[in-house]
Amino acid sequence: VNRFSMAEPRTFQEAGTLLTDKRFKLPVLKAGGMDIVDHLKEGLIEPDLLINIKRLRMEGMTEPVSMVQRKGPPLLRIEATATLDQIAHSDTVLKQAPVVAQAVESAATPQVRNVATAAGNLLQRPRCWYYRNASLQCLKKGGSTCFAAEGENKYHAIFGDGPCHIVHPSNLAVALSVCNGSVYVIGGSGGRTAISIAELYHMPDKGVGSEHNLEKAEVVTAIALEPAPTSGFYSIKEKQSFDWPLVMAAVALEMAGETITAARVCAGAVAPVPWRLPKVEEALKGVSIADAAALKKAVAGAAEGAKPMTDNAYKVKLLPVAVHRALLKAIGRNPEPGGAA
Amino acid sequence: MRAAEQQVPTVMPTTNRPINAGSSMNDDTSRLDGVAKVTGRAKYSRDMYLPNSLFVAFVRCPYGAGELSSSDEAAAKAVPGIIDLELKPQACTYHGQNIGYVVAESPQAMRRGLRALNCQWKRQPVKTKITDAMPENGGPDADIQGLIDKAELKLDAVYSTQVQTHACLETHGAVVDHRGDSAIAYVSTQGTFSAKDGMDKAIGLPQGQIEVVCEYIGGGFGSKFGPGKEGLTAGRVAAKHKRPVYLFTNRAEDQTDTGNRPSSRVEVKLGFKKDGEILGGWMRVLGGVGVGGGGGSSVPSGRYELGEIKREAADVKFNAGAPRAARAPGAPQGAFTEELMLDEVAMIAGLDPVALRMKLSKADDHKDMLQMGAKLIGWSDRQKTGSQKGALRRGLGVALGSWHRGIGNADCEVVINRDGSVEARTGTQDIGTGHRTAMGVIAADGLGVPLSVVNVRIGHSTLPVGPGSGGSMTLPNTAPPMAAAAADARKKLLALVAERSGAPEAELQIVGGEIRRGDKVLMGWKEACATLSGDGITGRGHWDRSVAAGDKGTGSSNGVQFADVEIDAETGVVRVKRVVALQACGRVVVRKMAESQIIGAVIQGIAYALFEDRVLDRNIGTMLNANLEWYKIAGPVDIPRIEPVLYTKGQTGVRSLGEPPAVPVPGAIACAVFNAVGRPIRDMPLTPDKVLAALEGGAS
Repeated sequence: VNRFSMAEPRTFQEAGTLLTDKRFKLPVLKAGGMDIVDHLKEGLIEPDLLINIKRLRMEGMTEPVSMVQRKGPPLLRIEATATLDQIAHSDTVLKQAPVVAQAVESAATPQVRNVATAAGNLLQRPRCWYYRNASLQCLKKGGSTCFAAEGENKYHAIFGDGPCHIVHPSNLAVALSVCNGSVYVIGGSGGRTAISIAELYHMPDKGVGSEHNLEKAEVVTAIALEPAPTSGFYSIKEKQSFDWPLVMAAVALEMAGETITAARVCAGAVAPVPWRLPKVEEALKGVSIADAAALKKAVAGAAEGAKPMTDNAYKVKLLPVAVHRALLKAIGRNPEPGGAA
Repeated sequence: MRAAEQQVPTVMPTTNRPINAGSSMNDDTSRLDGVAKVTGRAKYSRDMYLPNSLFVAFVRCPYGAGELSSSDEAAAKAVPGIIDLELKPQACTYHGQNIGYVVAESPQAMRRGLRALNCQWKRQPVKTKITDAMPENGGPDADIQGLIDKAELKLDAVYSTQVQTHACLETHGAVVDHRGDSAIAYVSTQGTFSAKDGMDKAIGLPQGQIEVVCEYIGGGFGSKFGPGKEGLTAGRVAAKHKRPVYLFTNRAEDQTDTGNRPSSRVEVKLGFKKDGEILGGWMRVLGGVGVGGGGGSSVPSGRYELGEIKREAADVKFNAGAPRAARAPGAPQGAFTEELMLDEVAMIAGLDPVALRMKLSKADDHKDMLQMGAKLIGWSDRQKTGSQKGALRRGLGVALGSWHRGIGNADCEVVINRDGSVEARTGTQDIGTGHRTAMGVIAADGLGVPLSVVNVRIGHSTLPVGPGSGGSMTLPNTAPPMAAAAADARKKLLALVAERSGAPEAELQIVGGEIRRGDKVLMGWKEACATLSGDGITGRGHWDRSVAAGDKGTGSSNGVQFADVEIDAETGVVRVKRVVALQACGRVVVRKMAESQIIGAVIQGIAYALFEDRVLDRNIGTMLNANLEWYKIAGPVDIPRIEPVLYTKGQTGVRSLGEPPAVPVPGAIACAVFNAVGRPIRDMPLTPDKVLAALEGGAS
């Protein structure tokens, strides 16, 4: 670990200012510190300033999660520095957006969830084992090769045309995507105050060095999402303790009686960004949740258009299963095979 | 440490696993050092941060093959705190190979120095697996081929297993405290005495002036014998700078360059009869040894009648770190192959796997355990292989294990001090099996005193010699001499009491810390000890091959394990729900330690069967999961109900237990998965992608 200074800003504005402070070559934000510590230990970045925002909250926002009343339906607000554990156990989230609670509850371990933050989860760097190895100059680190393309890509993307084949690691992002989620930001040049989850990330062909579209001085202060009481999340893992999902899926439904009137479906761990599945969303429209066969049929094409790499074609089979099970969770059924309905 | 000083009682009766009640010399004692270990009071070698220490790190090749093309020694030496640097560039042939080291005043300076050295490498092409480098296909000779051709039924299959790293919680290394004319080496070792071997040359002092200390070790599993390159380098640097030197690998170094269980590939051609009798066949057994040797897979194991098997074996080298002994070297991978092979035979012949094993297994205790275990797991509920169609499928599997008995040399001492305190002494380390506790229990039992008065001293090379913890040789070789030492000390004490009290020695005994003559309490323990001279009493026990020849114990280390698994047929995820592990180990010394040895072996075996895999990039040979994030080890949710059953019928004499229960696990799981899926998965680990492929008919 290189030597660095540590700043304790009092506000997000101050944190944003420090991000462009010319006295430092590489100032970086630190909240829970989960991903930063990994980067420091491996020598992937050598920041000379860590800006500790772990305890920062926007003024007046004392609770990690709150409801914001407005014209139309209210919004759920999650503070940027809320921990995953706080989100997973928030009664509001559990009731208004179960998909979000289930997504964060499935992440990592209790130890990590007690420390890791909402914004940190959204902005963590990919877990690609080539990116995470300091001796390998992959595309993401300014090199000329994506080692995964011809190498060990079992855990890489099945969607996207490269040139980098990471999967985005955030399960919270996948859940937020189906809740029309967005992040509140400050410090940007254009004065923008919010960015939708869809616009927060970009594919590798739009810039391989980072995964998000935040400007250098822009700081995420909170997350907003629309209530999605009929929603669910499911992830498939090799190991059931502390493992990254092979495939994950989030589903949010709008219902008229037993009929689905609108569906939002997003997959994770299959593409460099949270991967919406518009064809499945379309296919679910008008389907009765009482019709098990129709539900299964509607999600069957989830992996359509996938271009698996040499070692990850199995993800093509897993994706419809994950979506189907997220759907079952959304409608309150036990998604596990053999489980009671 | 004294049990009486601990915060929680070490004697805690267990009410679970009633099947094992009364199976041991001491059913109720918990680890003497359990509290010290979980509170951090126990200092491992890796915790030895001595004043004025230097810190050493190796410079290592990050690729499977490469040559150093440039480095900046001047920049490295200019880093504040870097005091020495040795670089001997050479062509490297595996990820993790070292070409020198840096010496620094602090761990931070050490890492900065390595970074400033800025090694640039020219990569070269690599081979990373057995199939990249294996010899041309062989085959059975005419006789064996004829035997197979004439057989009613045949099996032709290839089984393979992956590389498993030891992944010790405490990484490899040593701290050498150089004191001019003597040195203390704190080595993380499973051989307190063998760790000295070679240290003399490294440190420049005779072995007689070097003491090795290892009171606690955070896992070894076969990978921590001798001083290792870490210990030797620490010794050399300590001698050169006349300062204490700390050299421990980090996790990535540990994963790449401190040994592993080698991969295996076994080609099998078998001929057998409809009734399951195996006529014989041919096996080519290849071990994937990277740059090392000693690979292979123990198949056939010798546990079964397999007719006439012609076996060929070879090591296959490629660009990867070398193997070291790994908990029952060769045996778990052999069991995977042999047991899955037998289940395929059973399937083809239409036989029940337990019935087939009853027919083919050679040992009576194996047969008895097969029957016992079948009842415990509920074998009669087992569904026919391939008969299940649902999304959730259950599978039952069974496998046998065995291990040999190795004889070593050991001396033990039991000291009775005038204040009544007792020391049980052996230099042999406690690799984690509970050896310290077992020594205390045997000494206390032999003397007739409560365990709380006994202080167990282990893990110093100045204490009496004992075996390294390899081949499961520790307790089988230290238990008899410790018992003899206790008996010797007891006899000496009673002789003194007899002399002082006038009571005939033959009528005296020590029970519960009291000296008795018949039913009468003659005196208390402290009172008796107070009559000793200040030198106390030392009882001695000796053990070697000739003494061992007189040991009439009839124990074996045979075991049988049953696994109950669930397969999610839509995701391919395998979950082990329950394992019943029957295990013989001669006379059990401490029940809880024996049970936990079995449970630990099963957990390690589950991780091996389902998750663990050293992933090398096929083009550049770099290990991509040289961490504990992507090198997957079973976590709490992956660990099923494990039921160790201590098999005691006919078991006398203390026998091996460290390795035996690690042998059958992957075989039992692979057979259970086969039962659930309907097709064998012949390639470990049994990950969802392979399960899905098998379900779709693309089995291995």
